[in-house]
Amino acid sequence: MYGWVGNILFIDLTSGDVTTESTESYVENYLGGRGLGVRLIYDHYKPGTDAFDPSNPLIFNTGPLSGTALSGSGRVDVTALSPMSQLRAKSNFGAYWGPELKFAGYDHVMIRGKAAKPCYIWIKDDKVEIRDAEHIWGKDTFETQKAIQEELGDPEIKSVCIGPAGEKLVRFACILTETGDAAGRTGMGAVMGSKNLKAVAVRGSGGIRVARPNEFLELSIKINNEIREHPAYKELSVFGVARGVHMMYQLSFFPVGYFEDVCWDDILEGYSGADYVEKNQVKNMGCFCCPNRCMNFFSKPGIGKGLTSCEPFSGFTGAVWNLNMDTFLEATLMVNKLGMDCTETSAAISLLMELYHHKIITEKDTDGIAMERGSKEAILGTIQKIANREGYGDLLAEGPKVFAETIGTDAVEKVDIVKGLAPHAYEFRAYKGTGLMQAVGHRGDPLPLRGSLLEVDWNHAPDWFQQVAKEQFGDSEAAIPTSYKGKAFSTILSEHMERVADNLGVCKWLYGLFIYYDVNMATEVFNLATGKDWDVPRLLKISERVRNLERMFDVRQGLTRKDDSLPKKFFEEPLKKGKFEGEVLDRDKFEAMKDEYYTLRGWDVKTGIPTREKLEELDLKDVADEVLQK
Amino acid sequence: MKTLIIDAEKCSGCRACETYCSLKHDGECNPAKGRIHVIKWEQEAIFVPINCLRCEEPACEMVCPKGATYRNYMTGAMEVDPHRCIGCLSCVFACPFGATFVDLDNGKVLKCDLCDGDPTCAKVCPTGAIVCEEISKEAYLKLIQNADRIPVLVKQALGRNQ
Repeated sequence: MYGWVGNILFIDLTSGDVTTESTESYVENYLGGRGLGVRLIYDHYKPGTDAFDPSNPLIFNTGPLSGTALSGSGRVDVTALSPMSQLRAKSNFGAYWGPELKFAGYDHVMIRGKAAKPCYIWIKDDKVEIRDAEHIWGKDTFETQKAIQEELGDPEIKSVCIGPAGEKLVRFACILTETGDAAGRTGMGAVMGSKNLKAVAVRGSGGIRVARPNEFLELSIKINNEIREHPAYKELSVFGVARGVHMMYQLSFFPVGYFEDVCWDDILEGYSGADYVEKNQVKNMGCFCCPNRCMNFFSKPGIGKGLTSCEPFSGFTGAVWNLNMDTFLEATLMVNKLGMDCTETSAAISLLMELYHHKIITEKDTDGIAMERGSKEAILGTIQKIANREGYGDLLAEGPKVFAETIGTDAVEKVDIVKGLAPHAYEFRAYKGTGLMQAVGHRGDPLPLRGSLLEVDWNHAPDWFQQVAKEQFGDSEAAIPTSYKGKAFSTILSEHMERVADNLGVCKWLYGLFIYYDVNMATEVFNLATGKDWDVPRLLKISERVRNLERMFDVRQGLTRKDDSLPKKFFEEPLKKGKFEGEVLDRDKFEAMKDEYYTLRGWDVKTGIPTREKLEELDLKDVADEVLQK
Repeated sequence: MKTLIIDAEKCSGCRACETYCSLKHDGECNPAKGRIHVIKWEQEAIFVPINCLRCEEPACEMVCPKGATYRNYMTGAMEVDPHRCIGCLSCVFACPFGATFVDLDNGKVLKCDLCDGDPTCAKVCPTGAIVCEEISKEAYLKLIQNADRIPVLVKQALGRNQ
């Protein structure tokens, strides 16, 4: 095969069995990456079993473009049953592990079973070994990476691993790569921990064959050069998202605190991310073959060194009322080393601060630490407590709701959750389309997609982006944040566009959001790499199939329309300040958007479940037979 | 005539140079077959690309028992004639910079040929760590400065400068 390297690796940690299967038979219908992973988990997960049951399959998915010379080809999709929602988990990381896995000869790895004692997996081309990890159990993620390289005597080994939080089954533990990029959301680190699996180390010596190498080379160079001339590149490759965060606060797109307010004057005046980058950033780093390098590597004596990007910037600033960038860096490095999702962790701290502020809890409920807004002790102390499962941290490790239930109904009322996850790091009251995407999304917080970014972009040049919305989504109002019109269709198309990048194993920031605003370029390179001759509608059709199968997995778990919701706060408490002062979601109009979404999707409006007709149209008759018969 | 000038301090470790190099020369994406290689310390953000320095008196040329390594006077690159090469790897071991590589699949020597004077790696390096410039006094001074930086970075990466 070209593009794909052709093998799916199955490892059973209980029996020690290692087998492979060909990738080829899945490709026509599911392409690769995320899409193929969805089919694998649908087929191999035993309905009704718990996320910590050894049978829960943990699956790493690369796509046909992962590891190629194409810009942004370092992405890996991770799936399993989520210990946070009992629905399908989905997370995605970059860096260098995915390409290395392909060089070793595998497109996908599925890990099942549970080892009798701590272990790690060592994949060296066609040799797969399950090795003892008792001596590295307890080490943080940075130490673990190094210890494995030293033990195996090869500094070029790439590992993904868990930290102490994953070992202790903190439900939002993450899987960390060698750079600090992580599969953060949905608790994949906890699933790894439940299998007694500390790390998956990979080294490959093979290559990825490309169908039309000369044309692929030429186009890849052109893409690399185009990206480097793009305005987004000029910002991201220098500041990462550090400056963009400030803009998001100005636009009331990021929440302050626990969605308590937006446009907190102090953060608009005092947010110093850009200065901090200028003073303490060593360089920008990114993923495999990516010129964009949107992550910031900081070094600060007394705190440490490491990468941060994206959501930690708002999670450990505005969400926890913190203006001290040293605390931000310390918190970010700490969650990375301990192996926890920064978004979920910062949201949990944010909840404690809200409860404390409203006098629902006192320091007695949090082991003597006062949860003052912005308190360094509260932020760093809580991170440690969660990761070590000490005191109140042990309760938070089970999720914010478990903690709130021990306090009482007042506290439970305050908890904001969407499909088991904190709805951070985005604010929806003004951005109706983003709200819809969040509510109907496949997990509690799908990164707002093309249609969502259009709502943000609209603020800069309303007329222009309304025109773009008209062209892309057939309705100029799709770009207007406060409008409910055109949002259902823009959500659907955005979901399909996102899955094209995820199925191919490339970065959706580049291929769907910032540089290329559609999937034409992704399709063109796909054809050159794989030798296929597929058109854009065909790739979008696969995305639709994947979206429906994802939905059916969750329907099989009991999901219905009522789960496609947002916390009541977004319907009841209007924004108090800022550009969108007074905005709140109108429940009737919101439900009408959902009706429109289900109708356009060919799903049953009453239940939110795909119809047999739609599933059969998408060659998912077997799924309809299994799930809809019940 | 142009030469490659590599400043390790600017490298972000993206591996584009290695991957494009293998694609250009072997038609597949495989950093292990690159004629350039990046030594990486991710946790320190230190990356050192290693590539042929086209020495004035090249060790690779001197040790080759078959005279297979020669200078291409059109580009300045040291190249290996695959028909003469017997795969003894003397050149690989003799290179003082570790900049001559070997294809582990077939024992073939992998040596930077400057893509016939138009190096692919320089076209895709996003940070300016790899540039291709006309040979001049300024270029020569840059090469010396860049060479001086390498031991400093390596010591720093290994934590031996404190």
